[in-house]
Amino acid sequence: MPDEDSVSKLLRLKRYEQPPPGYFENFLVEFQTRQRAELLRQSPWERFNDWIASIAPSFEVPRLAYAAMVVCAIGASALIMGRPDGDSAGLAANSVPTPPLTLSSPSAASIPIGEPQPVALTSTGSPSVHYVLPTRPVSYASSRSF
Amino acid sequence: MEPTETPDDELVARTQRGDARAFDELIVRYTPRLYGLIYNMTSNHEDTNDLLQDVFSKAYRSIRGFQGKSSFYTWLHSIAANMTINFLKKRSRRATMSLDDVDNGIANDPEFISATPENDPRHQANLSELQKKLNEAMMKLSIEHRTVVTMFDIQGMPHAEIAKILGISEGTVRSRLFYAHRQLQNHLQEFIKP
Repeated sequence: MPDEDSVSKLLRLKRYEQPPPGYFENFLVEFQTRQRAELLRQSPWERFNDWIASIAPSFEVPRLAYAAMVVCAIGASALIMGRPDGDSAGLAANSVPTPPLTLSSPSAASIPIGEPQPVALTSTGSPSVHYVLPTRPVSYASSRSF
Repeated sequence: MEPTETPDDELVARTQRGDARAFDELIVRYTPRLYGLIYNMTSNHEDTNDLLQDVFSKAYRSIRGFQGKSSFYTWLHSIAANMTINFLKKRSRRATMSLDDVDNGIANDPEFISATPENDPRHQANLSELQKKLNEAMMKLSIEHRTVVTMFDIQGMPHAEIAKILGISEGTVRSRLFYAHRQLQNHLQEFIKP
């Protein structure tokens, strides 16, 4: 393609762009100076990190290690999730299951005012227990006695 | 008889054994080439100098881990390309381009003269304008496209080598080049022969 050739030809001209004269000759000296300055600035921890970075690529993890790690992780989580909790298991074994309690009272319309209001504390699913107040409510009692 | 150049592998092995002078030789050998790669990606001399220092510094720190699975050339270029790409991505590039450092030798290049014939008014452009246009056109490309154009058209690397350095397929290299060239054609219309 002639246009593409022309583009490539134009781009090749960029090969002639060069840095200032003497740049390449001085580059090594500048590099060494910077490197020494860097070494002086580096903390032992950074040097340790550099050392790790330099040896890390040579260390190869066996291929099956990742799979084994995943299997171990899954196994461990399955064990943790499947194991019954000690305290709650003991309680569950010793106690009788109790149904939830509900507090209910008969409707106010069916009970004449002045009579003791029966309050029933019922428990669903078991024989109901009724607690009946033996006297009139305190607010209705006469303060005078003859 | 010309003295034979010490092979890269040998210099690398000596560096790995702690011979810093062997690494100096590698620096001297690869500085011009890496300069070209980084400069044409950044279009800025100062940034290129800083990046080049960082590239050699990183290469020196990591050379013990270099196992020779690829050539030292590929490995070093890979460090340079990745560091430059990261640099360009971090900073949304400023549009200013330093042309002060461009060598005037371009004016004497026969290829350049033939590309700008004086008798054709369409191609009459002064040298600095062409350089400016070239750099502008390059900077309009995406980082990925600019990288492959720099490696292929300016550095003359084969597709396979570029693919290895960038860790992409040869097909991707070709496709990026195709789109990059198409974009460049639009930007450089006035300099392209009909």
